[in-house]
Amino acid sequence: MRSGTLNVPGIVGFGKAAELCRQEMESDTKRLSTLRDRLNARLHKGLDEIYINGSMEHRLPHNLNISFAYVEGESLLMGINDVAVSSGSACTSASLEPSYVLKALGAGDDLAHSSIRFGLGRWTTEEEIDYVADKLTTVVTRLREMSPLYELAKEGVDLSTMQWQTEGH
Amino acid sequence: MAYSNKVIDHYENPRNVGSLPKDDVNVGTGLVGAPECGDVMKLQVKVNPATGVIDDAKFKTFGCGSAIASSSLATEWLKGKTVEEALAIKNTDIVTELSLPPVKIHCSVLAEDAIKAAIADYKKKQGTSVEKGADTHDQPTA
Repeated sequence: MRSGTLNVPGIVGFGKAAELCRQEMESDTKRLSTLRDRLNARLHKGLDEIYINGSMEHRLPHNLNISFAYVEGESLLMGINDVAVSSGSACTSASLEPSYVLKALGAGDDLAHSSIRFGLGRWTTEEEIDYVADKLTTVVTRLREMSPLYELAKEGVDLSTMQWQTEGH
Repeated sequence: MAYSNKVIDHYENPRNVGSLPKDDVNVGTGLVGAPECGDVMKLQVKVNPATGVIDDAKFKTFGCGSAIASSSLATEWLKGKTVEEALAIKNTDIVTELSLPPVKIHCSVLAEDAIKAAIADYKKKQGTSVEKGADTHDQPTA
């Protein structure tokens, strides 16, 4: 008799993963954070007005989350559709609300809509990091040329004080 | 998100991106939406005062692929139409043309709002005003 059905492959796999993690955590943390920091630096080199969401110090080594001002997240995803990333924008959520996690981290609604979450893994290479950073730089630049918010900001308008017409939306 | 080929085409090859001079008396500018909502569209029309025909239209959009496609399509449709024909463009026409799913219908609504706002601005500059009518937004029946 047994009281239920246990996920035996899952249990064995999780145990093995924990063992590997303990063995490789230190070296993997160094490798991943180096790649992650390379991605961050390369993006900052190519673009201005990009903002990291959350602390860089108290952060998992393989994670990065950046808001690209004046460009909406889902339109960014469309431009890098050969890369697996996600966005905290309202348009990418079923509820049409921006990410409550980003809001809790202090991102305003507009920057929450402009965010991209990057997750690196054990097979991520330096070439892939450079490819993603360069492609995203091109896409952000193109979308900013199409953005009325970027245009207003370049004209010196303070977007936070503007009255927006939202009737019928 | 499954995009229709037309939405992808408008995203990769947007039509009429740019700006017309705001101070031109024959240019109407509509700016709708809000950054907090994740959708802002600026749509401009240049009207030939002699014929009442829209000679040129330009857009800039902060929003998802469907929002970009809706406003790009709007500028395509506006060129060559009279001001009154432009006011007859319905959001449901945009939904049908771009095969927008239900969750993206609001992008077409915002594009219709942008058209109406641009025309209203043009008419205000010309000294004629648009009548405030009932809600003209349609829900598709499909």
